[in-house]
Amino acid sequence: MPTRTGFARAAFLLFALALAACGSAPPAQNQAQAPAATAVPPAEPSAPAAAMASGGPLIVLEWAGYEDPGLWQPFADEHPQAKVDFSFFADNAEALTKLQSGFAADVVHPCSDYWKLFVDAGLMQPIDTARLRHWPDVRESLAKEGQFNGQQYFIPWDWGYESILYRTDKVTTPPTSWADLWRPEYAGRVAIQDSGSVAYIVAGLALGIDPWNATAEQSEAIKQKLIELKPNLLNYWSDSTSLTQQIAAGDVWVAGNAWSDAYITLQGDGVPVEYITPKEGRLGWLCGFGIPASAQNLDLAYAYIDATLAPESMAYMSNTNGYGAANAKALELTDETLVAAMQLDQPNIIDRTVFYQAVSAEQNELFNSMWAEVKAAP
Amino acid sequence: MDQRGRVLTLMAPPTLWLLLLFVLPMGAMALFTFRAGSFGAEREIWTLEHYRAFAGNWPFQRLLVRSAFVALLTALGSLVLAYPLAYYLAFHAGEGRLLLLTLILVPAWTSYLLRILAWKLILGSNGLLNSLLISLGLTAEGLPILLYSPAAVVITLIYVWTPFTALPIFAALQRIDRRLLEAAADLGHRPWEVFLRVTLPLSMPGVLAGFFFAFIPTVGEYVTPLLVGGARGVMYGNLIQDQFVRALNWPLGALMSLVMLVSVLLALLLFSGLVRQSTRVRL
Repeated sequence: MPTRTGFARAAFLLFALALAACGSAPPAQNQAQAPAATAVPPAEPSAPAAAMASGGPLIVLEWAGYEDPGLWQPFADEHPQAKVDFSFFADNAEALTKLQSGFAADVVHPCSDYWKLFVDAGLMQPIDTARLRHWPDVRESLAKEGQFNGQQYFIPWDWGYESILYRTDKVTTPPTSWADLWRPEYAGRVAIQDSGSVAYIVAGLALGIDPWNATAEQSEAIKQKLIELKPNLLNYWSDSTSLTQQIAAGDVWVAGNAWSDAYITLQGDGVPVEYITPKEGRLGWLCGFGIPASAQNLDLAYAYIDATLAPESMAYMSNTNGYGAANAKALELTDETLVAAMQLDQPNIIDRTVFYQAVSAEQNELFNSMWAEVKAAP
Repeated sequence: MDQRGRVLTLMAPPTLWLLLLFVLPMGAMALFTFRAGSFGAEREIWTLEHYRAFAGNWPFQRLLVRSAFVALLTALGSLVLAYPLAYYLAFHAGEGRLLLLTLILVPAWTSYLLRILAWKLILGSNGLLNSLLISLGLTAEGLPILLYSPAAVVITLIYVWTPFTALPIFAALQRIDRRLLEAAADLGHRPWEVFLRVTLPLSMPGVLAGFFFAFIPTVGEYVTPLLVGGARGVMYGNLIQDQFVRALNWPLGALMSLVMLVSVLLALLLFSGLVRQSTRVRL
């Protein structure tokens, strides 16, 4: 029966083709952008969703870990019937891509080095600060960073450090410089963030190159330097929670860049860790909320941002993560020892640290293509 | 209705489904590889630039070969574990076979992510495996970390695919006419000779199906390497994902997917051709 075997063979080929295509989409999703975690405000979870402004849930495009209701409790209290859906990203480039590829979000939380890119790409709408009750309390020096073309596009919210964190019980020679990440002693025990821009900047600092104004040759040197880091790398981390777990489990000994929340959490759990100030300086960042042009729930978006700006929300953020708050009034509610340890009462981190500078579209492209090649390299 | 009409009626829905949801998107993807960019004006420019970029990017090509190798190890490992399982089920399990078969598939009912995370608990520095080795006094400090390595990826994937690989082998063994085995024994074959010369060749279709089941999806795998592969376990699928979610270079991402698809299909055709020839010789 020649026709039948012919048909069977064709069917098999088609099936194989389908299977091969499925290969790139396995049953589960990437953890970092896992199926949006849904957080229902604790108040009245059974209230009908129909009571909401425009029907759908409020969609917040966030860093993983920021879904904690303590950060937006006033919103839950005032809008008990509103549902909040979180969608997570692992680095700024990913959030930018997500909006560019048509993802409709009501609130997004990128950091200042990427703010101009978001605005220039036409992805954001200007914010009417009069609709934010807590706006007058926001520090002016930080507020200025979110202004573009004479309008406020981003509401600064949290700022903090990125530095090297290490296990004091596992490491014999403590790191003192960004260049120490390459030390053979740490072979196979270093983790760095899965982000082209962070990796590029860290390697630049280690080489003594100004990473924001690097020439083509310097760029190539940075790429080679990152490839040389690979024998030392155990993992790329995509969210701070999993990094914290990997350090606590003793898998990661030196976190090439860690946010201060990892330090606060690990210290609280009694894990012996130290958070250094490298001789080149710590990296400093500032992040904030914006409303995408594609927002469907404008009223709720304003209410949400306003709730995050409330002194108690901001103090909760400072106390749990060790980040600085944009709202000056949060300071009195913040743990004093923490304020002293992290110098949270001095918002001029721009002077004290290597502050992330605005990135151009070309630089973003360079960071990402370089990072793909570094990850693919042996 | 004549037979022809009946076949056509039966075939229409799946054919339509495949055309709309599979062939058409594939075509769109192939078309996308010629676009200059993902959005706006760039999208309307047609270029071979990405083909040039991929051809000159040996780290990407090397990673594809490496991923295929990981898939090969995974498929072979799954076969080695699955065959005895299927053999036992088909020939010795008797009445309990249905229950056992269900038990084998039970883990597949839980979340894929959860099963991978379980392996993190087993393979970590202070994981189950190291704790066991230390408490047995076999090593003082435990093995160097197993997690976040290509080995961890292969181990986890073998675990994931073994039950699915066992199914087609079981079906093939099930179909073997038991009288053939008796005849072989009557003609003086020892048990292992019966296995090698009768059972194994007759179960080859099942073995092949099982191999493809594990091999094909593993080449493009990205979730498992992301969770347990670490820096050294990055696979080709992770780079494709990066092109889409980070670099916003959809044309290059589409091209990388296409290259993977075509090379996997070529490898399969070559492989199945070789197997068909070798089985023909043996039979």
